[in-house]
Amino acid sequence: MGSIRVGRAQAKPDTPRHVAGMHQGNKGPRQQQKGHHADGTADARRSTGIHWKRHDTLAETMPNISPG
Amino acid sequence: MTTTEARPTDRKPPQLVDMSWDPITRIIGNLGIYTKIDFANREVVECHSTSSLFRGYSVFMKGKDPRDAGFITSRICGICGDNHTTCSDYAQQMAYGVKPPPLAEHIVNLGEAAEYMFDHTIFQDNLVFVDFCEAMVKATNPGVLARAERTEAPRGEIHGYRTIADIMKAFNPFEGEVYKEALKVSRVTREMFCLMEGRHVHPSTLYPGGVGTMPQPTVFTDYLARLMRVIDFVKKAVAMNDDVFDFFYEALPGYEEVGRRRVLLGCWGAFQNPQTVDYRYENMNSWGKDMYVTPGIIVDGELVTNNLVDINLGLRIMLGSSYYEDWVNEQPFVTHDPLGNPVDMRHPWNQTTVPVPQKRNFDDKYSWVMSPRWFDQRTGDHLALDTGGGPLARLWSTALSGLVDTPYVKATGHSVRISLPKGESLPETTLEWRIPQWSNTIERDRARPYFIAYAAAMALQFLEEAMGMVRAGETKVFENYEVPDEAIGCGFHEAVRGVLSHHLVIKDKKIANYHPYPPTPWNASPRDMYGTPGPYEDAVQGQPIFEENGPDDFKGVDIMRTVRSFDPCLPCGVHMYVGKGKTLTTLHSPTYGANHG
Repeated sequence: MGSIRVGRAQAKPDTPRHVAGMHQGNKGPRQQQKGHHADGTADARRSTGIHWKRHDTLAETMPNISPG
Repeated sequence: MTTTEARPTDRKPPQLVDMSWDPITRIIGNLGIYTKIDFANREVVECHSTSSLFRGYSVFMKGKDPRDAGFITSRICGICGDNHTTCSDYAQQMAYGVKPPPLAEHIVNLGEAAEYMFDHTIFQDNLVFVDFCEAMVKATNPGVLARAERTEAPRGEIHGYRTIADIMKAFNPFEGEVYKEALKVSRVTREMFCLMEGRHVHPSTLYPGGVGTMPQPTVFTDYLARLMRVIDFVKKAVAMNDDVFDFFYEALPGYEEVGRRRVLLGCWGAFQNPQTVDYRYENMNSWGKDMYVTPGIIVDGELVTNNLVDINLGLRIMLGSSYYEDWVNEQPFVTHDPLGNPVDMRHPWNQTTVPVPQKRNFDDKYSWVMSPRWFDQRTGDHLALDTGGGPLARLWSTALSGLVDTPYVKATGHSVRISLPKGESLPETTLEWRIPQWSNTIERDRARPYFIAYAAAMALQFLEEAMGMVRAGETKVFENYEVPDEAIGCGFHEAVRGVLSHHLVIKDKKIANYHPYPPTPWNASPRDMYGTPGPYEDAVQGQPIFEENGPDDFKGVDIMRTVRSFDPCLPCGVHMYVGKGKTLTTLHSPTYGANHG
């Protein structure tokens, strides 16, 4: 930093970035979130827990779109 | 080298007055323009652009988790932070080797299109037009206003104003119709932005690897409904701008010399093509050309390159007038790019920021801004590229490359054709932006509303494709990835006001080096080690003065128009003094019209 006078650091630089065993967001939501399928699609369980099977599409070939 | 040619005129003995505006705009209020004006010959003789603020993002990013980079760098700017997040995500995706699903790319593109529409509208109509409004023209060029009252507006049937003076009245701050309408429109476009990126201006749903926006049908229909509400405003804005700017050329012969500089434009490209982009450096030339705003470097009206790899390798960060220690003797971080090309020590990948605060001295060091330049291998010159405020370079580069061919936008090689659908009151319209003769103040300002139309037209296409995907059930918006131990990445994007690049080096899963280069360091750069002035300095230096006021009540409106044509973030306060620090007037631009009428 050249010759600039700065105050005492408030952060500890050796604090770990990541604690082993903690979930990392970029590892994907499927394991934690219900209704998400491995191929990236989802079903009505994603949106509601109430009578969710009745809110799924009528036929297998139809896409399951979020109700919003 | 980059200055425009001297104009042959009969010179009178110079009558030099120092004129300074500091701070000139809000880049957190730290941009100053120091000029020497020759009132006898009515031109600016010398100009220095200076910044008094050190930020140090590249210093404190070191050692941080690279996944945080998008959220931290967003805070660089309070108006186009999302451009930084997007660019940072592009750089990270290259480093992590992850390609987001196509729907995620569409959502990012839609958010960015809304940002261009929002930011250009608020800047042009609420800030640039203060310099062109009736009150300002009355104070600086009363003769021009009298002529405007007699001049019919050629495109009156589109925008509804009979004379040019009527349009100028509508530009008056706080009272004018255009000013008030633009505020409403910028609210609607900001809502469009928030639908896609969660929050303005620091997005909450953009991540490397994809987005967190829930791709439900209403997100897209809500966006479309808002877009169709503002589409007529865009058509009117283009017509009004053309009328006013054509009138300035006509009423003030020689006005094309104001802010004119050699055509040296850079554009790094925007709107990734979701089908082809894979974020691999090896393929960067190919997916870079597939972007819906084509990257390119234009010198003297010729396209030098539109290869992102060439653009990347030619970047040089120079010192000369900046308060920093040189880093050429440090250890390089990246000696070769993934294609095996050597990387220069002055490339952002290898830069180390060591600040050396000192007193401002215009003969030596006078700014915290470094001097980014692009090394032209053909001539060996370090070119001081500017962004033309953003839209000028984007449209110019897209037009010259002629690669964009979509249902709503087509680049022809000499122009860009933009088709907008029928709106509430105006029919389907095709606008054509043609490559102008000059890179000057008026053309920088004129390109802006055309780019709003461009962004609106591209948004329509992204919406149609995204809604098609949602209907087909392809709603995946995130791809998992692992942070590598060591990697490099670079992201190229367009911030609203021009080129934006982020360069990232990861070591031990942490950031070892991170350098964002937004547009204003390019535009506001001081003289480099070869003495080449930066674009603001170059454009203002030697420009004629058309203002009718003398040194005592000089407002400097021609200089302000030039500096603001580069869109130096949002100008909100202008303090002005003449000579040895005597304050003449203190103006706060948005309240300018509050006292009149």
